[in-house]
Amino acid sequence: MNYLDVLKSTKNVMTPGSSACQGCGGELITRRVMQIAGENSVYAIPPGCMAGAGVDGWNFSNGCSAPIHITLLDNTASFMSGVSEMYQRRGRTDVNIVAIAGDGATADCGFQSLSGAAERGTKMLYICYDNEGYMNTGYQRSSTTSLGSSTSTTPAGAAINGKEQQQKYLPLIMAMHEVEYCAAASPSNMPDLVRKIQKGLEAGKRGFAYLHVFSPCPTGWKFAPDQSIEVGKKAVASNMFPIWEKENGQFKVTVNRNPISVAEFVKGIGKFSKLTADEIDAIQEMVDRRYQTLLHLAGE
Amino acid sequence: MAKYTAMTGNTAAYNGAALCRPDLIAAYPITPQSSVVEGLAGLVYGGKLDSNFVQVESEHSAMSVVQGAAAAGGRVFTATSAQGLALMYEPYFRMSTLRIPMVMAIATREMTSPETIWSGQQDAMSVREAGWIQMFCESNQEILDMIIQAYAIAENKKVMLPVNVCYDGFYSSHLIEGIQLPEQAEVDAFLPRHDEYAYLDPAHPAALDPLTPGELMMKYRKKHLEAMQEAKAVIEETDAAFAAHFGRNYGGLIEEYKTEDADVVLLTVGGMSGTGKDAVDAAREKGIKAGLIKIRFIRPFPAERIAKALAGKKAFAVVDRSVSFGWNCGPMYMETKAALADADEKYCSFSAIGGLGGADISFEYLLGCIEKLEAKKDQPGKRDTVWLMD
Repeated sequence: MNYLDVLKSTKNVMTPGSSACQGCGGELITRRVMQIAGENSVYAIPPGCMAGAGVDGWNFSNGCSAPIHITLLDNTASFMSGVSEMYQRRGRTDVNIVAIAGDGATADCGFQSLSGAAERGTKMLYICYDNEGYMNTGYQRSSTTSLGSSTSTTPAGAAINGKEQQQKYLPLIMAMHEVEYCAAASPSNMPDLVRKIQKGLEAGKRGFAYLHVFSPCPTGWKFAPDQSIEVGKKAVASNMFPIWEKENGQFKVTVNRNPISVAEFVKGIGKFSKLTADEIDAIQEMVDRRYQTLLHLAGE
Repeated sequence: MAKYTAMTGNTAAYNGAALCRPDLIAAYPITPQSSVVEGLAGLVYGGKLDSNFVQVESEHSAMSVVQGAAAAGGRVFTATSAQGLALMYEPYFRMSTLRIPMVMAIATREMTSPETIWSGQQDAMSVREAGWIQMFCESNQEILDMIIQAYAIAENKKVMLPVNVCYDGFYSSHLIEGIQLPEQAEVDAFLPRHDEYAYLDPAHPAALDPLTPGELMMKYRKKHLEAMQEAKAVIEETDAAFAAHFGRNYGGLIEEYKTEDADVVLLTVGGMSGTGKDAVDAAREKGIKAGLIKIRFIRPFPAERIAKALAGKKAFAVVDRSVSFGWNCGPMYMETKAALADADEKYCSFSAIGGLGGADISFEYLLGCIEKLEAKKDQPGKRDTVWLMD
């Protein structure tokens, strides 16, 4: 089915009236995931933007129409391992077990439990909406924050110019857990995202499925809310966020024939406004090397 | 018919857990608990136990996995010690405050630092304000029996709280004692198969534990405290029901040993109680009217029963295998004092601290405590903390 028909024919499981910021990538991703996974699912959303926006339920007026639990910041994958085990045990294998978590709850303090659940092949779909920092609490840096980003804990200052390290590239680490399905996607390419959510749900019935989704954040990154999809497109076009998938042991990269430069990507994004030419070069070098690694893995 | 056999405390623990037919077990190995995990793995991998067995990468995940499974309606079990308990503190606190029943064995161990792997009760004592029911065992039979009782207590609708069954690392976990191992059918008759409500089920969608304002949280905490107090009667009833099924009982919240006519009383926790009873017997041979109270449950704290058991006595000492850093005494001494009105006017008393980091609590130490109480029993007042060491 065409992705538009999929989205037209499925119910919005997340209630209207969420308090996410205008132009929030995370909200768009979460709405689409919950629409496609549907109500015959058990969801976990740990503290973070989507919990803060009320998807886990707040004030008796906000939330979703499916069972959901706000897990601890660091135990989403392990808590859902227990839920999944019980659903397998009771023979209710039709129920989707879905976690939706930010990069802090995924790549930082939640990484141990995520790695454990992936290694065990827990039957579930884990989605990380990666807005590259702790946005819900005012944009503190995380391990996926990119080099030179000015955040509230790595402010671009006279002594230190923003974050000093390159970002940790989590999706490839997850792919090396020999999981059932692993993919990187962006809401700026909705047909691709919808297809990967569907594949992830299906693979999550056989084993662990992991989806890493780029989540543009107008509030934290400082760009206009109507530019979110544009930022997503440029992230993919510049290979700052390459999209690919791994299934049946095979990597498949959406090949980017004419990449734009990192300098082009960072234009107009406030968190990058103090980047030096050297820092842009360093990011470009990392991005090129990472993309070559992916092409090599995919045999391109 | 029960089978007479001999086994270590850890073997008793895993056999007790297996007899309760848990839907799911998640555990991580740690000294001195590891043979509980190994034993359960052996049963599941050998096809003798139909439980989902999840091999986690940490104790934090062990408690998280069982929490998820219990939220999906399962009966669950795990076990840990010391650093593992400390690591799982975050989901541990949440388990009780979600009011989800389960049982976790703790082979108790001293807390680092100084670096140690040996026995002590500091681990379990340090989390006694995390909302769990906590009890300590003296014998291996008691470990096995109390795991079975603990599920009945935890799942009682008046209680709905998780339970820790604690026993001394190495002294109980690794030493072999005679055991009556019940038949599965006997346990099934006492503890019916679990059919717990699944909080997370698309059949009745709901948010489990959304962000909760203080006004509502106050009500939840009050009910949690009330359930703890309700648990006291349930603990006594469960012990009586267990006796009717198995012919063994333990006294419920506390066990009293020769206290009826006693002047001086030792209060003990866990495995040291056996040594304490020997010391009481020896003291009585010397003409000292000695008795012993084994504090079996520390949460809920059996304040009323301890006060009643000590009524009319002259002197007592509480032996702790852990410390209260803020009170210069052992934690159970502090709490026993809190259970007694005007303790210092009525009783001669002191705190005795021993057995830290695997050190021995010897017969001589405990007899010495009794003799010290006997010498001062007619002079009420709090005495200095006694450290049971040379």
